[in-house]
Amino acid sequence: MPEIALTAWQILIVKVLVILMVVPMGAIVGGYAEHKVMAHLQHRLGPMYPGGFHGWATTLADGIKFLYKEDIIPDAADKRVFSLAPAAIMVPIIMIYLVIPMDESLVIEDLDVGIFYLLAISSVSTIGVLMAGWSSANKYALIGALRSAAQLIAYELPVVLSAAAVAMLAGSLSLVDIVRAQDWMFILWPPGLGLALFLVFVTGAIAEMTRVPFDMPIAESEIITGPFTEYTGMRYIFSHMFAEMGHLIAFGGIGATLFLGGFQPIVPWEPLEVIPGIVWFLLKTFFMIFLFLWIRPTFPRVREDQLQKFAWKFLIPLSLVLILLTGAWVLYV
Amino acid sequence: MAVDERKLEEARKPGFGLGLLKGMAVTLKHLFKHNTVIQYPDEKQDLPARTRGVIALKEENCTVCMLCGRECPDWCIYIDSHKETLAPKREGGRPRKRNVLDRFAIDYALCMYCGICVEVCPYDALFWSREFEYAEYDIRQLTHEKEKLSDWMATVLPPPPLEEGAELPGAPAETATAAGAAGAGSAQRPSSPAQDTAVEERPQQAAKTPEAAAASAPPEALASESQRSAGEVQPTGAGAAQAPTEQKSEAAVGDTTTAEPQQEIGAAGEQSDAVKSGSERTPSKPERKEAEAAAEPQGAGGSRGGEEPQAVYERVLQEQRDRGSSPQVAEARAKVARVKAERGLRSAVAPAPAAKPVPSAPQQTRPSEPESSGAPEASGPEPEPGPVAPTEEEATPAAQSEAEEATPAEQPQEEGTSPESPEAGASAAPQTSAEDPEAVYERVLAEEKAKGSSDAVATGRAKAARVRAQKGTKGPGG
Repeated sequence: MPEIALTAWQILIVKVLVILMVVPMGAIVGGYAEHKVMAHLQHRLGPMYPGGFHGWATTLADGIKFLYKEDIIPDAADKRVFSLAPAAIMVPIIMIYLVIPMDESLVIEDLDVGIFYLLAISSVSTIGVLMAGWSSANKYALIGALRSAAQLIAYELPVVLSAAAVAMLAGSLSLVDIVRAQDWMFILWPPGLGLALFLVFVTGAIAEMTRVPFDMPIAESEIITGPFTEYTGMRYIFSHMFAEMGHLIAFGGIGATLFLGGFQPIVPWEPLEVIPGIVWFLLKTFFMIFLFLWIRPTFPRVREDQLQKFAWKFLIPLSLVLILLTGAWVLYV
Repeated sequence: MAVDERKLEEARKPGFGLGLLKGMAVTLKHLFKHNTVIQYPDEKQDLPARTRGVIALKEENCTVCMLCGRECPDWCIYIDSHKETLAPKREGGRPRKRNVLDRFAIDYALCMYCGICVEVCPYDALFWSREFEYAEYDIRQLTHEKEKLSDWMATVLPPPPLEEGAELPGAPAETATAAGAAGAGSAQRPSSPAQDTAVEERPQQAAKTPEAAAASAPPEALASESQRSAGEVQPTGAGAAQAPTEQKSEAAVGDTTTAEPQQEIGAAGEQSDAVKSGSERTPSKPERKEAEAAAEPQGAGGSRGGEEPQAVYERVLQEQRDRGSSPQVAEARAKVARVKAERGLRSAVAPAPAAKPVPSAPQQTRPSEPESSGAPEASGPEPEPGPVAPTEEEATPAAQSEAEEATPAEQPQEEGTSPESPEAGASAAPQTSAEDPEAVYERVLAEEKAKGSSDAVATGRAKAARVRAQKGTKGPGG
């Protein structure tokens, strides 16, 4: 196999294209998966007709439909902010994928401060949500945006703290190093502690994604998709649909990387090494995504005050305690 | 309340977050369960027979009584009709008036599918159908005119079989007897109880009617006489049959087991006996047996032609007491019997003219297998009292009711048809409009039973046949 020599620019273009492809394709596949998994969890069939076989083309048809929709900007809206908000939401989400290692060498940029970058960039999209809500000149949108911001502040802490605990366990901020450190997945080892960290992380991640049961900011039955009330067509897809699915897949990948051992086999056993790392990574990511999808039709929406109480009075103290325990584990075990 | 709270506490006890896991387990279980969704346009559910889909109209059953339209809470039924004057049935009779349905429409845009119209229809002209796919783009199309409503008839299912132990529609033993005894005008199915009463009556009848039967009196006189003697139970059957065929019927009846004691008495007695024996030979109908078993005392009291109502009262009262009925029940039954007896005296004479005995209906060709000939054709008008005796075979319920059909109007036709082809005669019979509706009812009922139809279906078809006979129309259902 001849070596393909690529200049730095060419490599960059390929990387950008790959990342730009991941989110829309992921959104299409993930959207379909969400339809079907949720339907079967609720004892339904979900879409069955588009495309002929089990409605495989549903989300594709959805996307095409949105492409043809009129792009409406309300008169009272702050037009420039309003049009920029979807980009402000989407770009940080796309940038999350930069540092997630899909295999030993299959990572776009192995940053030394990977986990730090990850946590920083995953919060930035909330600024886009605030922009969207504020510029819409719509009360529902504003309420949704503020709820979203409040929720992010509340739930970012548990996520950051649990991720910090993982970094402590691995002794590195680089995601590739964190994966390499997991001969045993962190969810299994340290026993109990890893699982608790994982649960805190999952809870925080769901809240950050504003998914059910923490979807107060975009509660369709009371504030009509919150910050995205006024969006139509492609802007709506980018700000809501793609963002949601991009977030979902990104957090699936992050969870798989931090707690499920990423591209490593599930148990350190020789024969399992045959299976390429990317397969392990994708399997674990799918499991995480399934977990998120599984939670969605199972639980009812949490009220806004309950949501805040749960974060500040329970989840954050818990994660602080877990940090302490992790420190003890690292020091004395 | 306190209990609930304690239960809640219990449920909360096991530990924080366990409820969440339980919930997740539930949804996960559903993920692997077999899915029972019906993909509607592709697959269709087999809806129950009582589904309220669309209302079908059996036009020929409709008498324009307007009950449905009046009861409709939404006023969504539109009925137009005009009166038509028909020629009198008989020479010198009164011209008859009849309602002709011009328009029958249901506006399904208004209809709320309460089904009151179907419930209230006394002539079984409205039915529920399971069809429900008749949405339209134009609201005006939702008004179904009678043609469309009649088209829905093709989709109407027969009613589902009754549940185990359910009361039979229209014919619990007591009421059936009452109806049977009450006379030809009654809408109940009188055939079986009528036979019972006939059996019961034997002694009295025999005592009263020897002269009538033995003497070859003029037909009319004989008919009316025997009518009275037999009570209204078999108003025309006994009367019509006996006159010219006395010896023959005697002979025929003679070989039935139950007939022996009555050999020496009048033909009327024999006739009823023949009926009895015939009915005994068809014990497969549970209803019949039931009626036989339960109806005897009432039947006995109900229709003794010559008996004084008060005597009937006393006798039935005594019977009931003997049977150990409670005083109230005994008295009530006796009163019922008295009323029936009174009515019987009054109404017994009325149907007589219709029961002219047939001078000479060819009877030889009658197929001799009775219940197996339960096919409608076979038990057509044959049993008409011909010169040949009605053998016990045709003394089935059907035959008995057939006898009633020996109306004057029918006779010429009967004679005209070839004696060798009973089917021809049979098929002619239902079409002759002169057939008494009640007789039609009984005949069809017996036919249906012989065919093995369920009681509900048999009753329904018999009712429909009666209505058709009343209206003089011929329905598609035959």
